[in-house]
Amino acid sequence: MSGKWSAHNAEKTCWNCPAAELKGNIDFRACGQSMQKLKLMAEESEILIRCRRRPELGYFEPTITFKECPEWELTQYGYLLRDMRVMILGIDGYLGWTLALKLGALGCQVSGVDNFLRRRAVAEKGSISVVPIASMKERLKAAKEVLGIDIKFRKIDILDRQALGAFMKEVKPEAIVHYGEIPSAPYSMVDADHAIKVQYNNVIGTLGLLFLMRDICPETPLIKLGTLGEYGAPLTGRPLFEGIFPADAILKWRGREWSLGGELTPRDPVSFYHVSKVQDTFNIYEACKYWWLRSYDIMQGVIYGVHTDEVAADPRLRTRLDVDEWFGTVVNRFVCQAILGMPLTVYGAGEQIRGFIALEDAMECMVRLISSPPEPGQYAVVNQVSGLYKVIELAEIVAEVAEEFGYPTEIYKLENPRVEADVHPYEVVSENLPLQFGFRPKVTPKTEITRMFELLTQPHIKERIKKVAHVIMPQTWWTGEKRKPGILEVVKPGKVSKGVYRPVLHTGLKPVIYAEARLKRKVGGRHEADS
Amino acid sequence: MAGRERLLIIGLDGAPYSLIRDLAERGIMPNMAGLIEEGVLTKMAPTIPDVSAVSWSTIITGVNPGEHGVYGFTNLLEGTYILTFHDFTKLKAPTFWQMDRSKRYVVINVPSTYPASEINGFIVTGFVSPDLKKAVYPPGYLSLLQEIGYRVDIDVARCRQSPMLLFSELSETLDTRLKLCLRLWSELDWDVTMFVITGTDRVGHFQWKAYLDEDDKWHEAFLEFFSHVDRVIGELVSRLGRNDGLIMLSDHGMELLEVEVNLNAYLVSEGYLRLHEGRRGYNAIAEGTLAFALEPSRIYLNREGKYPRGCVKRGEEEELLEELTNLFSKLEFEGRKVVKKVYRRDEIYHGQHLEDAPDLVLVPERGFSFTTRISKTEVFGRSDLTGKHNDEAFLYVRGEEAQEVVPENPSVEDVLRIMRTLQHH
Repeated sequence: MSGKWSAHNAEKTCWNCPAAELKGNIDFRACGQSMQKLKLMAEESEILIRCRRRPELGYFEPTITFKECPEWELTQYGYLLRDMRVMILGIDGYLGWTLALKLGALGCQVSGVDNFLRRRAVAEKGSISVVPIASMKERLKAAKEVLGIDIKFRKIDILDRQALGAFMKEVKPEAIVHYGEIPSAPYSMVDADHAIKVQYNNVIGTLGLLFLMRDICPETPLIKLGTLGEYGAPLTGRPLFEGIFPADAILKWRGREWSLGGELTPRDPVSFYHVSKVQDTFNIYEACKYWWLRSYDIMQGVIYGVHTDEVAADPRLRTRLDVDEWFGTVVNRFVCQAILGMPLTVYGAGEQIRGFIALEDAMECMVRLISSPPEPGQYAVVNQVSGLYKVIELAEIVAEVAEEFGYPTEIYKLENPRVEADVHPYEVVSENLPLQFGFRPKVTPKTEITRMFELLTQPHIKERIKKVAHVIMPQTWWTGEKRKPGILEVVKPGKVSKGVYRPVLHTGLKPVIYAEARLKRKVGGRHEADS
Repeated sequence: MAGRERLLIIGLDGAPYSLIRDLAERGIMPNMAGLIEEGVLTKMAPTIPDVSAVSWSTIITGVNPGEHGVYGFTNLLEGTYILTFHDFTKLKAPTFWQMDRSKRYVVINVPSTYPASEINGFIVTGFVSPDLKKAVYPPGYLSLLQEIGYRVDIDVARCRQSPMLLFSELSETLDTRLKLCLRLWSELDWDVTMFVITGTDRVGHFQWKAYLDEDDKWHEAFLEFFSHVDRVIGELVSRLGRNDGLIMLSDHGMELLEVEVNLNAYLVSEGYLRLHEGRRGYNAIAEGTLAFALEPSRIYLNREGKYPRGCVKRGEEEELLEELTNLFSKLEFEGRKVVKKVYRRDEIYHGQHLEDAPDLVLVPERGFSFTTRISKTEVFGRSDLTGKHNDEAFLYVRGEEAQEVVPENPSVEDVLRIMRTLQHH
């Protein structure tokens, strides 16, 4: 079987491996040693490491490839560190729990913390996860029974540095996945208390984590969930690079030119939640610079979906699905709106373009990133998306699948409660995941939306969706108002104008179907592509 | 004649005979001048190559590298191209403190003795010592080291930033080393103390030009550092009894560095070494490689069966060695010959631990220093360093018996025998 697997990280070396303890530099020309963590020293002298997993090697240069090292084993996602100790902050969440099971099934030793803030915040809205989820205690038991996975869990708030630090010392993680933030834009816009809570939890939580990593596990990579929304949607239509300008990005001014290569790209966040992610970016960037920490900052598109093989293995293993206006992401909410017989609501013209990624694809990306850690001092960014779509296009796909499941629906264009352009250009570069990490998206929106209907139309889940019908519609305005947006227009699916502009996604691969959102209209029982 | 009761050995890493003579005569090192009157100061030949790991290992074991198995600071892990760093567990011959455990020893800062191992007395290891916790035995002395702010070595990256920082670091490091020794002497009875100063080597690498040039901004600072070394010598020697023996020595000398020559870059340019693009370190050695270099100037044939991508067969070795000898012998820089001598293994090494011995060892001409950094492509380069090793080590023995005890043209292999003779045991 393994002969069929390609490995994007076969040639990575100890230099990337979290088990390699950096012990300084040796400059033979000066007969000297240094513990300074300077990139210059790394180029001019020999690096000295000791392998925590293979102490018998003594001190050596970090040049053993993953392919050569017996501690790295080949999987379908590339080489993975054997029994890799991965700690997930926010392990109880939509993504955290899903990833925990995925990693556990791959043989990782998974640990995690959560303070169940998400469960409480959703309850604050008067909502529940429409997919029933077990308590953490039951989840842990089920993971063991069904998948044979032992997860080490502690109820810890990441702001409690003492407790978090003690757990980190106990576990000695070889990767830390940071999902432990409040992920909601509308939640952050409710009022001052909510905005401050989001920023404090997210920014101060991450800052404290960075200090802990510096002192406890400086060679452990931080795999940090950011958001594509950090970049905003510049009306000039310039590309959204992966966090850092490439060398051929040029700034021209008054007849002079400069390369912007290596500089952080501008951020234009679209809510106080998005601002917190931008602040995280700067804190992490500095920490990597000062302390030679290493991090992937993941600018993830809008997540949607319910399916991975692991969460589908048993009802007790299901991950949460929120559809309220605070924590529900747009596709998830559309599906529930359709099931409830409510119209699918888009804001303004509905031509906001965002990057999207299905749950299963997102999990694959995470595994590929975890298995190919960054180098010491490296701050790297990936734009984690499978495709770019206008919101209205996704509404059309949901409507199409809804009809197939017997839930005809309409699309309402509402006043936009957010401060954002509803028609704008959008060009995204997402080349790192395909080219460096071997990622290929596998899940189209139609596939995942179909899976969602299959799950969510089950009677017991439909009942739960009905219970939260009152919290699905948006009421939180960026201006501070609390009211339902007015209806601008009602349109029938299939007759919606999607505008002329087509977003562009650069993946570094040959143009494939996900580069554009092309919809098929049912004409006389046959499907035809739009011209 | 009765032997010396106790023996103090002071090492000045990298201090050449001519420098010691010069500074003693000029009054920069008055204690040394006084001691020279009481004994014998002579040149001493270091090991080949003249690098601290090999030379100190020879000094403390008294045997040829072919017996103790150390040929440099680094080696490739058996069956791989992974560069490992020497540690004390790889030394294959016993040291003087291991040979006679009835005596008590204080061993401070001898290079290549990390990690610290059991000793009757005390040891703190020298360059390379990555972790202070593992550099000291008995481990209970770690708190003393931390209390006095002991440093194994200056931090080269920090000190590269400025000569002012270099000289202050050198001075502070030397102070803590002396402080440690005096503290230990007040607490322990000892029979043999070996006290090595490595700042003498560091200052030579960084500021040899300052020594040579009286008008150099740091000339006085250079001299002052050696005056400081002299005061430390004075402090230690003043605590010896009349019947205690004293040896001072260096492991190699120092001279002006003009041009660095990258041996691996040269081998690449001549087609003997092939590298995988994008790979790091020695693991980049690709198929078709015939030879490669390890620091400081060791050449190894890429033997089939010995290395994963080895291709040199048994019958091909002699011809290849001839070729390489000619290749290096003809190397020139701006009309100047670079390589003074190419030694074959058998010419300089003998013993039962030749498995890691290089096939060839190069000795450079004056002014040239060899490097082996495999990622670099330029054969010739300049450095911010101005000092390089040479074969002009020194040996000093105090006392009337020194004339008899010190052989003509001593080498570092003779030191242990000299120690034993002085102690008459």
